[in-house]
Amino acid sequence: MNVKELIKKYDGKAVVDSVSFEIQKGKVTSLIGPNGAGKSTVMGMISRLVAKDAGIISFEDKDLSEWKSRELAKRLAILTQHNNVQMKLTVKELVAFGRFPYSGSRLTAEDNAIIAKAIDYMELGEFEDRYIDELSGGQRQRAYIAMVIAQDTEYILLDEPTNNLDIYHATNMMKIVRRLCDELGKTVILVLHEINYAAFYSDYICAFVDGKVAKYGTVNEVMNKETLSKIYNVDFQIMEIDGKPLSIYY
Amino acid sequence: MFRKISSKSWFSTAILAGVLFIFSVVSLFVGVIDMNFGDLFSGGEKLELFFITRLPRLLAILCTGTGLSVAGLIMQQLCMNKFVSPSTGATLSSAKFGICLTLVFLPASLTTIWTRAIFSFVFAILGTWIFVWFVQRIQFKDTVMVPLVGIMFGNIINGVTSFVAYKYEITQALSSWETGHFSMVLRGRYEIVCLVVPLLILAFIFANHFNIVGMGKDFSQNLGVNYKFVLFLGLTIAAAITASIVVVVGEISYIGLIIPNMIAMFKGDKIRGTLVDTALAGALFVLICDILARIVIFPYEVAIQLIVGIFGSILFLFILFRKLKHGRKAIRLNKKEKGGESA
Amino acid sequence: MKLTKQQWNIIKLVALAVLVLGAIAAFMFIGVNFEKPKLVQFAMKLRAPKLIAMLVGAFAIGAASIVFQSIINNRIVTPCLLGMNSLYTLIHTLIFFALGSGSIFAANDNIAYVIDLIVMTVVATFIYGYLFKKTNYNVLYVLLIGTVLSSLFGSIQSSMIFVMDPNEYDILLETLVASFDNINTEIIVFSIVVLAAVAFFLRKDLKLLDVITLGKEQAINLGVDYDRVVRRLLIGVTLCIAVATAMIGPISFLGLIIANLGRQFLKTYRHSQLIIGSGLIGMLALVGSQCLVERVFNYSVPVSVFITIGGGVYFLWLLLRGKRGSI
Repeated sequence: MNVKELIKKYDGKAVVDSVSFEIQKGKVTSLIGPNGAGKSTVMGMISRLVAKDAGIISFEDKDLSEWKSRELAKRLAILTQHNNVQMKLTVKELVAFGRFPYSGSRLTAEDNAIIAKAIDYMELGEFEDRYIDELSGGQRQRAYIAMVIAQDTEYILLDEPTNNLDIYHATNMMKIVRRLCDELGKTVILVLHEINYAAFYSDYICAFVDGKVAKYGTVNEVMNKETLSKIYNVDFQIMEIDGKPLSIYY
Repeated sequence: MFRKISSKSWFSTAILAGVLFIFSVVSLFVGVIDMNFGDLFSGGEKLELFFITRLPRLLAILCTGTGLSVAGLIMQQLCMNKFVSPSTGATLSSAKFGICLTLVFLPASLTTIWTRAIFSFVFAILGTWIFVWFVQRIQFKDTVMVPLVGIMFGNIINGVTSFVAYKYEITQALSSWETGHFSMVLRGRYEIVCLVVPLLILAFIFANHFNIVGMGKDFSQNLGVNYKFVLFLGLTIAAAITASIVVVVGEISYIGLIIPNMIAMFKGDKIRGTLVDTALAGALFVLICDILARIVIFPYEVAIQLIVGIFGSILFLFILFRKLKHGRKAIRLNKKEKGGESA
Repeated sequence: MKLTKQQWNIIKLVALAVLVLGAIAAFMFIGVNFEKPKLVQFAMKLRAPKLIAMLVGAFAIGAASIVFQSIINNRIVTPCLLGMNSLYTLIHTLIFFALGSGSIFAANDNIAYVIDLIVMTVVATFIYGYLFKKTNYNVLYVLLIGTVLSSLFGSIQSSMIFVMDPNEYDILLETLVASFDNINTEIIVFSIVVLAAVAFFLRKDLKLLDVITLGKEQAINLGVDYDRVVRRLLIGVTLCIAVATAMIGPISFLGLIIANLGRQFLKTYRHSQLIIGSGLIGMLALVGSQCLVERVFNYSVPVSVFITIGGGVYFLWLLLRGKRGSI
């Protein structure tokens, strides 16, 4: 996926200003930056949830706008934070929606197999007949991930997946992200608030400031004192744990 | 700076009063029977007519306009919500329910305008009180939630009223109060509406107290104001004003809602400073609507409630959209609402 | 053998259908003197059109309410609460006067009806589209503004009738606005055709409703052309409400009650079942209560009064329950 000169304006003010970057296939890329830096808007545009004002988002050599929505749904999945379903929906039924781009509402035997596998993968077997509004936040998040897995796309986009989760569930979430990439070979793009999760679990980091890309590179390239201090405007110390850079800020 | 504002506020009051006076005179001379200023001095039939219909009508209009808008203002202050009013706070519908009960359960000899007034007053205060109690119990007091609950509350009471009316076959008799109109205002049957005047004076005396109570329970206790007493007093005054109007004129919606809001847009929220303006603007609004109602299909007249219903709801929509545009953040339910789909 | 939820729901739907048949039979036959065939025939002729109008109207309201709720993703909002039925009544009155009661159009009920429906679709799409956009789907605002709109339409309509003919006000009001006592039987056939056409043209969009339930972002993620589908469905909702209002008059709370009962009864996200279920519940509620009130209790109180009281209380309960910010 290749993004060039992406622009988005709200009320005449550019929220995203000539952003260009390229996403590496088969890797985990995190978008970080302070509030209002435009990272979620970029995520919205590359997932077609938000209309862009100018620029090119080429996905598999074709601009995103030229893709048929249904076809795109087989290649790219997005999971946002607001998932508030009012309907009575069981976990299994939710996961089954992941097969919608392929089979519509009529599930084939193959679909059912994929759904069962996705539920297994996220260890939701014992909950599969529970209604999702009866689950805890962490379980619900897992159910949605299972749906995305059932959608069987090459690219998975997650908008602040650790939001509203406690440390235990957030860490679990990040481990799942890693597994999606390592075990299932997915390309994962996330928006994250927590820098250390980005540092520990992703391959590349793209840092935004004021609607522009401040720094894009491997974890080690971005995670240094000078870059981070510049981005967030606070003092940073970088430590190394398990061979990975972690930051302390105060 | 302070002086400048206060002199300006005096200025707007004077303008409102002047315009109101002009329209009052116009109103006196609009009617089926042609009448001009000279006729008043030549005496005779026309002068008689003047005192039997025209003057009572004008007085009723002025009382209705000032009364309902001030009642709305008081309720808004006390409930700390800009959208509470006799029509969005179950007061009007309860007053009507009271009238309905007098028609059904009192023998014909007892259904004078006074018994009706007493019944409608008692029910108006009960309905308002229950509604306010209800609203204060709601955990999440969203600005928009309160009028919504109030309107539904009113709908239910109206439903019960029409149930009783159908059951005892008094729908015809009751329909006179369903849509308020001034055409039956004549000497001898409207005087009760003038009760509004002493009630308004009372409201003016207690204006500062209402303001303090509007700041909250702790705030008023801190200043040594008896919260419960003032709250109850204020609601009683508002309900009494509403009831004495409903008994004579019938239901007229929206005035208590829109007039205080319009005035507050220009002059802020301090009740002492806005009370007079609100009263004048309310009277002016009803007066203009009434003149319209009388000339639109001259020589017939449209019930004022219909005219007020149209202009009132348009103005209310205007206020709502304005609020939506300016105060977006203040009234948003919660962060989740952002995407819209959680709504 | 343990039944799956789907099988259970089908059984529930069949049971509902049986109950509806029972209500129909009761409505048709209670109080008919079977010893005189002439009288039987007369009663049938009198009752059948009314029955059909109620069935069609109830189904249309139920279906429209379910679809609308799913689009807005909220269970408290129904099209009638936002004043869609008052809008139809207003448009109907406007057109009646604009064309004049003497013209060919007004003389032929169906032609006037078609014009009503077209104008209604255009106006409603415009007004409600603007409303949703402006309020950003903030449900409380949508509801409050809708309630005010509803009273605005009502006031304009009453004033217009009054202005046109102050002497015949009551009579005109009654002939222009349908109600249970004044069911508009001339347009039944055409109404059924309209509803069938709506169902036919929207068959694909209706299937997408299950996905739309997941919310806008999820729906787009799964490859639904969200804006287009929603626009088409809203037009369908508008037409359903217009048809129902034209036949049995404005009953504001019916949709709220039956749609929520349908959801609670079936506990599913499948809209094929929800729509049929709510439609059946609507039929049962309307025909059953009309039958009870009219035939059994011989009441003078119209059914709509009970629906208003019950619906209002139910609405308040839904609003105040406030569970998990479900508003």
